[in-house]
Amino acid sequence: MPSFTIAGRDFELVRSLVERSMRDELPDPLLEHYVIVNGRRFPPKQVLASVTGLDRADFTSHQARRILMRLGFVAARAARGAEAHAPPGGEGRGPQRGRQAAALEPYLGQWVALAGPTEVLVAADSPQEVLSWLSRHGKRASGMFRVPATVAEADGAAPA
Amino acid sequence: MRFDFLELPSGGSTLLRPVVPVQVEDLAEAPQLCLVDTGSTHNRFGAWLAAAAGLDLTGAPESDLAVGGVVTKARHARCDLTIAGLRYDAPVSFCDPWPFAFNLLGQEGCLRFFRLELCVAEGWLELTPEASA
Repeated sequence: MPSFTIAGRDFELVRSLVERSMRDELPDPLLEHYVIVNGRRFPPKQVLASVTGLDRADFTSHQARRILMRLGFVAARAARGAEAHAPPGGEGRGPQRGRQAAALEPYLGQWVALAGPTEVLVAADSPQEVLSWLSRHGKRASGMFRVPATVAEADGAAPA
Repeated sequence: MRFDFLELPSGGSTLLRPVVPVQVEDLAEAPQLCLVDTGSTHNRFGAWLAAAAGLDLTGAPESDLAVGGVVTKARHARCDLTIAGLRYDAPVSFCDPWPFAFNLLGQEGCLRFFRLELCVAEGWLELTPEASA
């Protein structure tokens, strides 16, 4: 089991422990970097603080990212604006040229709050979780809705 | 005020939906993207939204509605909606269950208060408050 010294304290961490710890957490707003845990993008400091119980001021984002990468998590720099959601097949249809649909694709069936046309602030299984997250972080969404899980649902049908 | 259509992922392609952000009562941090439904006579919202906005529906008139093949219990109330900068008192049916992805803006609760221009070719709609609103 890999061991790490953080803020003068020793921790033994494994990937599964981190995944368990983050299972019911919603990601805080992303700044410059993120790591992917359970298919969601989290700020590295949020993950390390959650799994160790340390205060986020006790370590740097760089340190958190390095530790999580050693545990096998993918880390990356958060892209902004148009570069973040280029549609896979080139420019699509619609006012955002398919970028909005590409940005929403990972959130099928979930409630989302948008910060802009292609920026998802938070996604959760219920509207109450989204509202609670917005309130907790003092954030204001430009729009909130549930991303239809299927083509039929997007077209107005009720979920099967 | 002009609003771009919402682009939804649709099995590898994009489906465009005419939606507008609607603030319900003082829930300013989370405007709801609602579908402009010219074929709907009334506003139909999920009942969870009434609770989130602090609306007490105790004693509100109830009826069963069939919407999109789903029979739902609707409680009819009035509440403040803000669309395109205009805050107005609107009739809304709060429905439970409401399994749909979007709330619906209909004629009596929305389009009576706004003039609607749609451009599907370019993917936008424009709402202009009626002079009498």
